[in-house]
Amino acid sequence: MSDARHASSPVTGATNDRAPLAGLKVLDVSIMAAGPWTAALLGMLGADVIKVEPPAGDGTRWALPIQNGMGTNFMAMNVNKKDITLDLKSDEGRAHALTLARGADIVVQNFRAGVMERLGLGYEVMRETNPRLVYCSISGFGESGPLRHAGCSDPIMQAFSGFARLNGAPGEALDAFRFTGFIDLSTAAVAVESILAALIDRERTGCGQEVRVSMLEASLEMQSTRVAEWLLGGELMRPNGSAAAAFAPDRAYPSLDREIFVSVCRESEWRAFCRALDMPCLADDPRFATNPLRVRNRAELDGIVEPVVAQRPAIWWLRVFGRNDIACGLAHDFETFRYHQQIVENDMVAPIATPWGEVVVGGVPWHFSETPCAVTPPPRPDEHTAEILATASADAKTAEEVGSDA
Amino acid sequence: MLDGLRIVEFAEGVAGPLAGLRLSELGADVVKVERSSGDYMRGAYPTAPGGTDGAAFIDLNRGKRSVALSESPAAAAALLQPLVERAGVLITDQQDDALSVLGLAGIIAASERGESRLIHISISPWGRRGPLSSRKGSELTAQAMTGYTRYLGVQGEPARRLGADVASVGTGTFAVQAVLAALYSRARTGKGQRVDLSLCNSLLAMKSIHLAAQSNPDKYEGPRVGGAYYPPELGWKTKDEPVFMAFGGSVGPTGRAGWVDFVKEVGLEKLLEDPRCDKNGRISTGHGAHVHELREVYEEAFTNYSGEQLADLIRKHRGNASVYQRVDRTLTHPQTEALAIVCEAETNGQVRKFRRFPTRFGRLQLKTLARPPGLGEHTHEIAKEVGIAAHELAALKGSGENAGDDA
Repeated sequence: MSDARHASSPVTGATNDRAPLAGLKVLDVSIMAAGPWTAALLGMLGADVIKVEPPAGDGTRWALPIQNGMGTNFMAMNVNKKDITLDLKSDEGRAHALTLARGADIVVQNFRAGVMERLGLGYEVMRETNPRLVYCSISGFGESGPLRHAGCSDPIMQAFSGFARLNGAPGEALDAFRFTGFIDLSTAAVAVESILAALIDRERTGCGQEVRVSMLEASLEMQSTRVAEWLLGGELMRPNGSAAAAFAPDRAYPSLDREIFVSVCRESEWRAFCRALDMPCLADDPRFATNPLRVRNRAELDGIVEPVVAQRPAIWWLRVFGRNDIACGLAHDFETFRYHQQIVENDMVAPIATPWGEVVVGGVPWHFSETPCAVTPPPRPDEHTAEILATASADAKTAEEVGSDA
Repeated sequence: MLDGLRIVEFAEGVAGPLAGLRLSELGADVVKVERSSGDYMRGAYPTAPGGTDGAAFIDLNRGKRSVALSESPAAAAALLQPLVERAGVLITDQQDDALSVLGLAGIIAASERGESRLIHISISPWGRRGPLSSRKGSELTAQAMTGYTRYLGVQGEPARRLGADVASVGTGTFAVQAVLAALYSRARTGKGQRVDLSLCNSLLAMKSIHLAAQSNPDKYEGPRVGGAYYPPELGWKTKDEPVFMAFGGSVGPTGRAGWVDFVKEVGLEKLLEDPRCDKNGRISTGHGAHVHELREVYEEAFTNYSGEQLADLIRKHRGNASVYQRVDRTLTHPQTEALAIVCEAETNGQVRKFRRFPTRFGRLQLKTLARPPGLGEHTHEIAKEVGIAAHELAALKGSGENAGDDA
């Protein structure tokens, strides 16, 4: 990574032919967040992505807030793409979609179960003309079962999957995550993982396949450890403020000025923590001798630790926990982390120049040494319709000619 | 599908082991390398009945073989070096200098330059560069750093965490992507490479919607800018359990109809004339602008319905709804059962329940894995595989440390 990347000038669009998926084509027939971000991640990995918008437009264009006439959600979810408008309910739109799918390696769609089939764009139809296709369907509740047709969104799945009921103050029933969209983006992460697995499988077998991902399963994946604690350990996490289910002490403590977040996971860290508090004898207290004991006796432990931490400011605890090699930190917000040297130096946020002005979006989550990836700005809706249809019809013509020569 | 791929997982906690688990379900052969103290997740609460390992550890490490390293760096290097040299992928959460002490400096440098076929996945809390790069981190500190804790609880009151280990699981998932994308690339170029990931980076990538929202919006409107200052989102009260509900759908500027019929059916006709409502229900339900003012009005009518009844009614009128369930109920809900998300596997007469790989593949066969390894259980076996004879291993071991027993 050159230092030029760290300067304030935002990134402008360019295809990246060094990235790992360079040369692959993705047809993104999805709206809102889970589907679009799946395709965006594939775009960041170097694939050429075409987003198909319905004539009414992806609803994220109007989702608040708006920046210079465009919903910022649309911008964030549609980086690394071209954009075409197609009415899939019309014969013409359907025909164009099929042409594009014939030349694609991956299709991503997130209509409700059965809609793509009704439109004549289901997997079975597409497989006939393109057996190498990886066809990813993203749904809320899955494609079978009593809720397969039920509408879904991030907060609905937070409610259904149990995600929201892990959060809250001690004694509360739940606290839903007001940062909405997280389950959508988790679903996209699982979808990309699965699409890539199907691509590797295609390398070995020559055949594509259908890949079905649901927000339900993705939300349960996010709860992996909590689900395992229940299925294998019989313990169900209840809302407990900032305290971890699996480890203690692992929470935020009020200090003299602000909260200090600290995590003790290893036995060596427990001894170090006691040293940092200047209470080395605590390490030998049999009530706290192992992590499971500390979790069980959490209230007594906190009764000892809280008054000690409260006597000094957070900066002191950062120093002393840091010196003792214990995970610790403070809470940040957008304005304090976006310019944080650690975030900037690692390209964890990406300023990009869009038709609606500069926006900051998430940086790529993987940093490949040999096939670097980058975020490129989102398209204008409908920006590439003429270009894509011209290319598609030229490709189709070439294919016909090649076919007739053979 | 990944049959024949050897992965060395020298990582503990959640992120690296989750990546190893998912890749082994896809067919890879995963060798878990542990220091003599063991993966700290072995000590996580709760432990599974009849054992000493944490329940989460058991799930994350199903189907792997475990090698325990000697406390002597030279002896550890003598085993680790040939093991990594024969591997296709190295997943690690260790700092580079710690890997160098164990004799891997040359191997990881060659991978990074694309001079070998090895794919090296390096996971850290805070990223490879920068002033915090050598600092310890955790799920909680990563959530706090990236502003996640602001969207729970009440501004100014004690912080709350997301109970799900989102930073760690997110990073594990991105790590699987990194391995698969690097394998795809290697099939073309013949070159391996290094990929760096971090808990902090993963959470910010997954926060893209909120980052964009706060960049330079025309007005300070909506949950993506104001959400941190909203009251806690506890759902709409009903006769019994709280629900979440939203009308209006997701297509176009105005959305889907259905709300008008719904309010008539539940006896809330007065809302039809209320200027704080639009006719599709978007701004008075879900995360609409007037939800907080109108919640009590809705709730008064909702006391006539159980949560499940209300959710059904809302779905009938083309809205979205769900009861806030605990995960134990989610796992036994007919919908979850229809997808066969939870499965059982038996090893040594013990039946254990697991959640499957979170995807339905049309063709790809997944391996069912049940049993996690004891610490160092396969040290001798693996040593033999990489060409170290038993007496050599014994000589390397030095005295008094647990290298396991594969008898």
